[in-house]
Amino acid sequence: MRDRFLIVVMVLFAVLISIAPALAQSTAAGRATTEAGSYRVPRTPDGQPDLQGYWTNSTYTPLQRPEGITRDFFTREEAIEIMKKAAAAESEQTTPGTIADVHYDFTQFGLDRNQGGVPLNLRTSLIFDPPDGRLPPVTAEGKTRAAERAAARKRLGGPWDAAQNQSFSVRCILMNRAGPPMLPGAYNNYYQIVQAPGYVMILVEMIHEPRIIPLDGRPHLPGHVQQLTGNPVGRWEGDTLVVESTNFTDQNPFAEGASEKLRLIERFTRVADDRILYQFTVEDPATWTRPWSAELPMLRTDGPIFEHACHEGNYSLVNALAGARADEKRRAEDAVKKSSQ
Amino acid sequence: MPQPQMPGRLARWVLVTVAAASVLWQSTPVASGQASPYKAPRTADGRPNLNGIWQAITEASWDIEPHAAAQGPAPALGAAGAIPPGLGIVEGGRLPYLPGAAEQKRKNFENRIALDPEVKCYLPGTPRAMYMPYPFQVIQTPKYIMMVFTFARAVRTIYMDDHMEAPADSWMGWSNGRWDGETLVVDTAGFNGMTWFDRAGNFHSEALRVTERFTASSPNHLLYEATLEDPKTFSRPWKISLPLYRRLEPNAQLLEFRCVEFAEDIIYGHLKKQPSQ
Amino acid sequence: MTMNRTIVWAGLGVLLAAAPLAAHHAFSAEFDVQKPIKLTGSLVKWEMINPHSWFHIDVKQPDGQVVRWMIEGGSPNQLIRLGVTKNTLQVGTEFVIEGYLARDGTNKAVGRNFILTDGRRLFLGGSAPGGDPVLK
Repeated sequence: MRDRFLIVVMVLFAVLISIAPALAQSTAAGRATTEAGSYRVPRTPDGQPDLQGYWTNSTYTPLQRPEGITRDFFTREEAIEIMKKAAAAESEQTTPGTIADVHYDFTQFGLDRNQGGVPLNLRTSLIFDPPDGRLPPVTAEGKTRAAERAAARKRLGGPWDAAQNQSFSVRCILMNRAGPPMLPGAYNNYYQIVQAPGYVMILVEMIHEPRIIPLDGRPHLPGHVQQLTGNPVGRWEGDTLVVESTNFTDQNPFAEGASEKLRLIERFTRVADDRILYQFTVEDPATWTRPWSAELPMLRTDGPIFEHACHEGNYSLVNALAGARADEKRRAEDAVKKSSQ
Repeated sequence: MPQPQMPGRLARWVLVTVAAASVLWQSTPVASGQASPYKAPRTADGRPNLNGIWQAITEASWDIEPHAAAQGPAPALGAAGAIPPGLGIVEGGRLPYLPGAAEQKRKNFENRIALDPEVKCYLPGTPRAMYMPYPFQVIQTPKYIMMVFTFARAVRTIYMDDHMEAPADSWMGWSNGRWDGETLVVDTAGFNGMTWFDRAGNFHSEALRVTERFTASSPNHLLYEATLEDPKTFSRPWKISLPLYRRLEPNAQLLEFRCVEFAEDIIYGHLKKQPSQ
Repeated sequence: MTMNRTIVWAGLGVLLAAAPLAAHHAFSAEFDVQKPIKLTGSLVKWEMINPHSWFHIDVKQPDGQVVRWMIEGGSPNQLIRLGVTKNTLQVGTEFVIEGYLARDGTNKAVGRNFILTDGRRLFLGGSAPGGDPVLK
């Protein structure tokens, strides 16, 4: 039964990637130049380049280039091989009695990336600048801040002493890869883009995160008004939507360690009917010695996006806290028994 | 092509009369139930343009029924935490609860700090999100009309075509919309029954169906009407109506109201590790 | 060519490691890897919610008593995209559930495998009851 399932997956996977267009090449500055047969982006009724629809940015490509790889791009054949192997690995079942096995099976619920569609990506890493595909060095201030954050976490106590000791993801406040920048997480890597005059809206599926991007060139909020996902302002540069976000808090959940001084520039360019090239540049002189940039494709897909009411349904956090308290109680009772023997 | 000329005095009389008539026509008060003479500017696809940032000005968030001022549930807040008086938004004034449901409402009211989903930062549901005292934004396209709310960053997706039944129950419900001339009509069902209508404990079951009508009544306000049907809770359908006003400040925008952190001790505090003796 | 291949396969390990595993830590805090369980029961309700869905099932004990269990499953969002609705799983559907017991001592478990009486795995671990899902 499982083998048959795998074969179906592989066949459909092959069909999917065979119709995927070759990815547009990019310069170090992050501007996409399309290959021969350039795509003409359709327009919305009010004349904006049309990015609308449901999109997924699932990927098997790591953020940083793995050690031992120096090329920017795999060949198409290599990339397909890697994706096939990654898809097969996702379908593999975990071993009973291991920590990894203490989980529902992603594949049963269609949540493994392969079942949702993974756009072909020839890049060896999402980061393309610096040219070595790796994060730039962290500044002294960045190292100090990381150490302070780790120390502050330790002062809170054990990870399950209180809900507030857990990550924003576990607390259903913000998934740390939801961004911005928008990177795929474990599953439900879906986005809905709608456009009305003067605005682009992106609904991020996980925790129904609504990004409303005004296009009127308004100023950012006053500097002291800080928000977890910053304050975005957008504009069109030709057919590319450029979104600049500032006003981040110092609780930035962006996993790579950004500060409240983060200035994020995102670029969305529709390069084919079923593909948006998503690029972003991170400027945070308080954390990295230089800006860095990454890109990954968004693949057209089907909706709908069902309400991801994460906080409302968060039995898991209650259960984990209750489990930790029950474990403590058991250990305390065992200790009392032992000492009375 | 040259037009036949009217005698001068007659022409002026005609012009004055026509002008006066058109002024009277514009300022004719709108009787309830009649179509408003105001026609909103059109979107590119020819529909009334409801895009913008809107907000209700009403005390319905505290209690959708007419009510006098009263002590609030947190006496430490004194007058700042009191319940302000309001005319309510319910047509006919009182909600037609079934007897068992009326008793549940009373219990909700008495225990509202513990039971009100708003206190826990849960999604407010429909129609409560429409009249909470914070701005919300409408982003209108031919296929989807999105509504984004300040409180808990709630989102409503109104499907303008490809209508389907709710695949599963949700907090905000599943909304199918259509145009009826100048009016956006939205049918919403598929509720999970866990939301309230206000802070007074007025509630509904998962059987709730909401039919809303949005009609632009001037450049800067919409008439919002909703019919609520829930045969498990109420003896008959009932209706609310209120204006929704455009936020006119330059650069008006929704700010982040992430309230989970404000509710965590309330929800999880009893599971915190206690300091050992 | 051989050298490049080696590098590619070495890189593959890192690519696969890109699969987020942080979620497992939270699960092993909620459920006990030392306490695998196997239950047979019938569906009372499938709570199609996020971040994880919950199957409420009635389990008949050897003494004849019926006990209610809550079993954790995945987000329903992708299944909904494939046409699954609250009407897909009938009340009374019989399951065998293999999983791990909750640490907090209540009748809860994570459903590692949901198996129907005919041996098929639920939803996409086989074919979905009520029709084949569309694979992307």
